Amino acid sequence: MKKGSGLSVYAILYLIFLYAPILILPVFAFNDSQVVAFPLKGFTTQWFGEMWADANLRSALFRSLVIALCTASLATILGLFAARASVRYNFPGKTPAMGLIMLPMVLPDIVIAMALLIVLLSLSVPLSMLTIIMGHVLLCMPFAVAILTSAFQSLDKSLEEAALDLGETRAATFRLIILPLVMPGIIASFLICFTISIDEFVLANFLGSGKPVLSVYIFGQFRFPAKVPSMLALGTILVLFSIILLGFAEYMRRRGIAKAGGKDSGGFL
Amino acid sequence: MTSADQPTMIEFKDVHKYYGDYHALRGINGTIKAGEFFSLLGPSGCGKTTLLRTIAGFEDISSGVIMIDGKDMARVAANTRPTNMVFQSYAIFPHMSVAENVGFGLRKDPRSKDEKAAAVAEALEMVGLKGYGKRAAHALSGGQRQRVALARALILKPKVLLLDEPLSALDKKMREHMQVELIKLQRQVGITFILVTHDQEEALVMSDRIAVMFEGEIAQLADPETLYRRPNSKKVADFIGTMNFIPATVLSEAGDKVEVDAKGLGHVTIDAAMAPPAKGESPVVGLRPETLTLLYDDQKAAERETEGVIDEVIYFGDMTYYDVYLGGTDVEVRLSMRNVPGRPVLDVGTKVRVAWSPSALVLFR
Amino acid sequence: MAATPSSEVRSGLKLISPPVFYAILMLAAPLATVLIYSVMTGEKGAVSLPLTLDNYYELFTKPIYRALMWRSLMVSFFVTLATVLLAYPVAYFVSFHVNPSRKSLWLFLITIPFWTSYIIRVSLWRTILGYDGILDSVVMGLGLSDTQPNILSNGVLSIIITLAHAYAPFAVLPIFVSLEKVDRSLLEAGQDLGESRWMTFLRVTLPLSLPGVIAAVLIVFIPTVGDYVTPELIGGGRTPMIANLMETQMLKQRDQAMGSAIAVAAMTIVALISIAFVLWNRRFLGGRK
Repeated sequence: MKKGSGLSVYAILYLIFLYAPILILPVFAFNDSQVVAFPLKGFTTQWFGEMWADANLRSALFRSLVIALCTASLATILGLFAARASVRYNFPGKTPAMGLIMLPMVLPDIVIAMALLIVLLSLSVPLSMLTIIMGHVLLCMPFAVAILTSAFQSLDKSLEEAALDLGETRAATFRLIILPLVMPGIIASFLICFTISIDEFVLANFLGSGKPVLSVYIFGQFRFPAKVPSMLALGTILVLFSIILLGFAEYMRRRGIAKAGGKDSGGFL
Repeated sequence: MTSADQPTMIEFKDVHKYYGDYHALRGINGTIKAGEFFSLLGPSGCGKTTLLRTIAGFEDISSGVIMIDGKDMARVAANTRPTNMVFQSYAIFPHMSVAENVGFGLRKDPRSKDEKAAAVAEALEMVGLKGYGKRAAHALSGGQRQRVALARALILKPKVLLLDEPLSALDKKMREHMQVELIKLQRQVGITFILVTHDQEEALVMSDRIAVMFEGEIAQLADPETLYRRPNSKKVADFIGTMNFIPATVLSEAGDKVEVDAKGLGHVTIDAAMAPPAKGESPVVGLRPETLTLLYDDQKAAERETEGVIDEVIYFGDMTYYDVYLGGTDVEVRLSMRNVPGRPVLDVGTKVRVAWSPSALVLFR
Repeated sequence: MAATPSSEVRSGLKLISPPVFYAILMLAAPLATVLIYSVMTGEKGAVSLPLTLDNYYELFTKPIYRALMWRSLMVSFFVTLATVLLAYPVAYFVSFHVNPSRKSLWLFLITIPFWTSYIIRVSLWRTILGYDGILDSVVMGLGLSDTQPNILSNGVLSIIITLAHAYAPFAVLPIFVSLEKVDRSLLEAGQDLGESRWMTFLRVTLPLSLPGVIAAVLIVFIPTVGDYVTPELIGGGRTPMIANLMETQMLKQRDQAMGSAIAVAAMTIVALISIAFVLWNRRFLGGRK
């Protein structure tokens, strides 16, 4: 274990660097002081209480949840179409079509937000939760496609043919064979899109009406030092929630690949 | 085995298949009889799998007709054809148990649940997997997966069973074992089996008849013995087993005899039956290694003999292969000798006499 | 003739049309609108004809635009440099020194922070780097310095630190993937041919992993140029980048034409730099993808 021991120390330090802010969150969320700095003052759950007492926060959270649920459902459904088409069929214009669908992954959010905004404004569409959902679906679709593509790819084409060969119709084949085998990918896609939507700020900020969603609310609150500790408390809960959700998504994704008899080829991206 | 008067099960009439510009099947004609063990043999890319998939209905044909049991299959979808397939990957549904896999095709069967369960058990017993029904499909070995795939296809009592390289994923021992099992199974159920394989030995061992395919065409369709003894082209001869090719000149052709001068062998008269129709290639005569014998000491050749010098000795245990330069020429033939006690393996450079039989010669031209 | 291709084409097109239709409606059409607006005249929330290149002329002549574009590119350049340099050894470690069964776990650990609230992470750097913040209190507490480092007062530096942290996983993954593809027997061949470990790395592993490095560079560089949140939160609006300028023009100045021109110009510049970078490397990579 001599070789690479220096590297492993570096890798651990790197992980610590990656996790430092996240690890700091709970430390100061439970710290009994409005000043977010060392030394620590003592243990308190006051900030969690303060956070929960905030009615504006609760309604922002509710809006975010509704948006995330709709976004995740729509993006996953659209992603299913695109992933199935790209894995299973060849047709003219496939590359540009997939390119356009995946484009939001490399475009700056602000450009997407501004472009959508000027169109919405010029058509006098009132900004609302619906407009945020429209933007978020666009943003999440590439991630759904990426996850579902790997799910479809690990599906042996002859499984479908076998079902047809044994007398089932195409629709029944989809229901009996494809859907159960891709289901873990669908769940993973849903969870990832849900997480992205909850976290997303730029589109939510510019495409929303005056009523903020959670990320926009947090963004605003961090400007007031007095609000910072309760935001840290909120952050602690959100991070914990994200990690649980992601762990579950990763578990589902791997189970899906294992179930379809494929080999794991890496993470989400 | 099957007799010639068996009814026709499958008939191909000028079947063509294009993938864009690629001409995958180039005018397939032929018939496959009921109850026959039929093989499609050829190198990869020759169209044998494509042809099998057109029978199953997974590929549409670009032109021509495929008839199964007297019916044109043009408008018949894969799920309503009287064929079932054992896939190369076996395509065992990984999220189902063995019994669920085997019983998959019975979903719309009007029989009662108990009757279906009995049918599944019977099918499993037939392939030697009695009592495996409750096992998870993904926990099976390669050989077991194949048996499940067989049971799953046979339970529907198809008229034709299609097998797409079913043995290629198995190791050598298992493969040989399964060859015998498949032959037995075919005799037991009595339906038409169509096997796709690139392994000539497998095809020879298992089939009643074989279609050898090259580049989208059937090069020869015959029983294994004809295919081996009287290949109709150099290409077929070369693909099936080993054959020595010796340059020759055609001297005369009269009635059912062809007179040739083969380099190193001299003048030979070949029966017209051993001279398939000319293809316009430069003439060669073909000889299988096992039809040649080395003559020891004062042994006499039964028919003809030719002197030569040993150029290479390849020892195989039960056999020895010798490469021999024929009578002062640069023509080399390979011959195989069974190793028996008291007969030494000869060295390179030894002068030998090679016995051969004119009736074993095939003429390609 | 060939009935198969057409039926396959039809099924494929049928399936792809809902997502493509959505992307055209929600992405292609708005982007086209931006392109058209950028050559119109903007005034208080409206655009009007005639078509003009005035916006672009203004963009290239007024120093403020150039300064902010330059700042964005510089910040992105340093963020990219830092993330890729820091990530390479980690990707190498995971690919070459981590037990295969543990690799996904490592990748998962590296990706988790990316999926946790971006706003919270960025905001945290503000409290970490700020005056009398966590870093200052640690430095002072340990007696490393008598004065607060107050890194946050240096807007560009804080933005670079924050973005480098946020985009770290993006750099690790592509490099890891390309390292995984390196045929291990090539390395043995390299050493068999008498090269040291280090030289084998330089002559075999590094060149073979360059496609991953290039991907990492692009994946980090392209979105960081257009980052909006970090300058807004960390710089407190005092160190704006091109994205913030775009937003100011669009919403605060209500000059949609100018905002559009900034968007088009910024995306074009980023695209050109990316293409140039790929071309430059293709020459070095000798035809490899």
